[in-house]
Amino acid sequence: MKNNPSTKALPAWWLVFTRELSDLWVGGKALILILIYTIVLAVMVYVYSFNTELSLIPPKESVYEMLKNAMAVSMFVGLVIGADTLSGERERNTFESLLLTPVSRRQIILGKFLAAISIWPVAYAIAIPFMNVLSQGDEILVPAILWGLGTGTISVFAFTALGMLVSFWSSSNKVSYFASLGVYVLLLVPAELPGTSSGAAGQFLQWINPMASVNHFLSKHLVNYEPFSLFWSWLIAPTVLAIVSLGLLFFYAGPGLRLEPGKTSWPWAKKLMRTMGLGGMAVLILMLSLSTSPVRAQGQTSDLQISIDLDATVVKTGDTVEYNTVVTNNSAVASPPLIVAMNVVNLDAKGDTVDPEDWAPKRTQYIESLAAGESVSLHWIINTILEGNYMVYMVLIPEPADSASTSQAVATSGIHLTVNPFTRLNPGGVLPYAIGAPLLVIVIMYFVNRRRNQHIDAGAS
Amino acid sequence: MNAHRDSKIASPQPEVLVAEGLQKSYGARHALQGLTFTLKAGRILGFLGPNGAGKTTSIRILTTMMEPESGHFTVDGISSDHPEQIRRRIGVLPENLGFPRQMTGIEYLTYFGQLYGRSPANAREFALALLEDVGMQQRGKSLIGSYSHGMKQRIGIARALINDPVVVFLDEPTLGLDPRGQQELLELIQRIARERGTGVILCSHLLSEIENICDDVVILSSGQIVARGTVAEVVDRVQRNIVLGNALRIQVPTDFVAKATQALKAAIPNVTKVTPIGEMEGWLRVELIESANGNSEKSHLINNTILGALIRAKIPILSFEVEGGRLQDVFLHLTEEAIQ
Repeated sequence: MKNNPSTKALPAWWLVFTRELSDLWVGGKALILILIYTIVLAVMVYVYSFNTELSLIPPKESVYEMLKNAMAVSMFVGLVIGADTLSGERERNTFESLLLTPVSRRQIILGKFLAAISIWPVAYAIAIPFMNVLSQGDEILVPAILWGLGTGTISVFAFTALGMLVSFWSSSNKVSYFASLGVYVLLLVPAELPGTSSGAAGQFLQWINPMASVNHFLSKHLVNYEPFSLFWSWLIAPTVLAIVSLGLLFFYAGPGLRLEPGKTSWPWAKKLMRTMGLGGMAVLILMLSLSTSPVRAQGQTSDLQISIDLDATVVKTGDTVEYNTVVTNNSAVASPPLIVAMNVVNLDAKGDTVDPEDWAPKRTQYIESLAAGESVSLHWIINTILEGNYMVYMVLIPEPADSASTSQAVATSGIHLTVNPFTRLNPGGVLPYAIGAPLLVIVIMYFVNRRRNQHIDAGAS
Repeated sequence: MNAHRDSKIASPQPEVLVAEGLQKSYGARHALQGLTFTLKAGRILGFLGPNGAGKTTSIRILTTMMEPESGHFTVDGISSDHPEQIRRRIGVLPENLGFPRQMTGIEYLTYFGQLYGRSPANAREFALALLEDVGMQQRGKSLIGSYSHGMKQRIGIARALINDPVVVFLDEPTLGLDPRGQQELLELIQRIARERGTGVILCSHLLSEIENICDDVVILSSGQIVARGTVAEVVDRVQRNIVLGNALRIQVPTDFVAKATQALKAAIPNVTKVTPIGEMEGWLRVELIESANGNSEKSHLINNTILGALIRAKIPILSFEVEGGRLQDVFLHLTEEAIQ
């Protein structure tokens, strides 16, 4: 029986892929990770429905939060599995056998990569029923599923490839996991911490952070209905990360795959990375200095006027309050660009401001300019999250001419808003999903193992 | 055994592995300094050397896992410039081969058969045949995680044969096996070479097994070959150059060790020292004075006198050998400097 390559032989990448897939899903860590992931989502949806405050979050935001968390966990899982692919095989001494075959290194990488991303479609499919129950029939569901699929796929591809690259360079699995986890935390923390996106530097940091930028895009496009054309640039960072990671994985790590951890064989690469790092730091310092430049006061009188068509209102938590403001330019000349900002302060907490992200999808609106005597009407929405007494007032402020000037604000009268308690999500309706999904995964795990055991002898050595 | 080896040398076996001037350094340390040797089809070559001698580096280079700094090699006529083609022609059992615990033996071999270009059906058929060859047909459907160390070594050898290679590299295949397991595995290795005509490179620290089953031997020390040839040639060549005849090894029943020591010291004036050998039960090392060096006739007479003294004392002699006549002695002599 000679070793003549058969015409019926399967492609090597497919063989590696199916082998890795089997290792991962049958008795491997994929089902366990999926079970943990499902439990995390189940706990989330349970908390959303039973927690008095969280249950009042509008469906749009709940769905967005669920989508964001499903993607974050999937990226983490992709990173962890990617981080184990090469260094793990080295550590388990199974890598040499694979490298000793005549299979091209790139095909090995392709097979392993495809297996590593196999968790994403399953994880996403599990998230969809949870998003459905949180959406309560809101129209956000379909766009959320589609946009989540697109942006999630880009992000999971990027993070899985990143994990594999770390694994390629790592001398041990511990180092690989540690480095991958470090990268993940470094990107996740700025994406989740409140207030990190304030100022030009903060915005820039959010923009270059692939995790934060995807969240920002989804938040603006799905929750605030901002058009894609305005926020498409927030998808650049994850796309670039995906292209760079995949490019490095297949065109650098692939051909250079060997038993020992990969080494940088491009001396100029280090210089390039150093230059890029220094350049990035310089840009960051510049942005920070611009965003914190002191502004000298320069008083300015204004003929601008703003009015509000809302009177004292009593609503229940979870209700939406809609109103309009009218801005009028009473002067004889065209106005500079104008900014109108919504303010909501809590009267029960000595005037503390409420969290703008939760209370209103759009807190400011921009007017290019108003001609002499011209008026414009602006529409506003408030989502009443917490019970209590609040004051709503609007501020109109002309955009200053330059960085050294200021402008005079004009405000409306304050409108008293009373929010009474009300629970929206029905906990009973959520419970079957919260309990059923993890149970279903456990049942699948049981049958997968049972089916596997039927095909093997349990003979002891 | 030697006659058998000599007859094989004369036969026109093709060279399946030719290594010429292979060099490799790790920083300032020269791991390999001009490795040159050949391996013929159907022969077993023992690859010896103390730790750090360059054995692993040599195997890594010859199995295309590492590139040499200079020099080149061919496998079955294929140049080392074509590593993928070489990998089609070699089989390797690395020293610390790991196995996927969740695969059965059949699945494991079928998978690798397919990676070498076999169709699924053909790979499975070949896997079953190999399992039978290595005596594992009864456990083919069991998970590898449930195998003993010996079974794993057998599966590892079967994997090394999955592509019907012309050269097989076996790195410490008997390490960790019990004596019976070692014997069975060595017989299997001999069968592979004889029946398949495969050239086998066997790395081992167990010099007795190299001596028993290898046709040729290469001894490495500090990255250089210090001896090369058939086992008999290497032993003979070295024997001439090292100080011989001034030590013997005798094995007697353990109860007679003290009596034998006393008899030898009392009866033979040439004996300077009689000491038990380490943990080897009943073995005595008998050191003689220098006068017999270089004179084989006198050496033999002294041997006779020693044996006569033991016989007269009614001590059963289980074994008797002149130190320096075994591969172990040659190895220790040649690598002594490097170890020191």
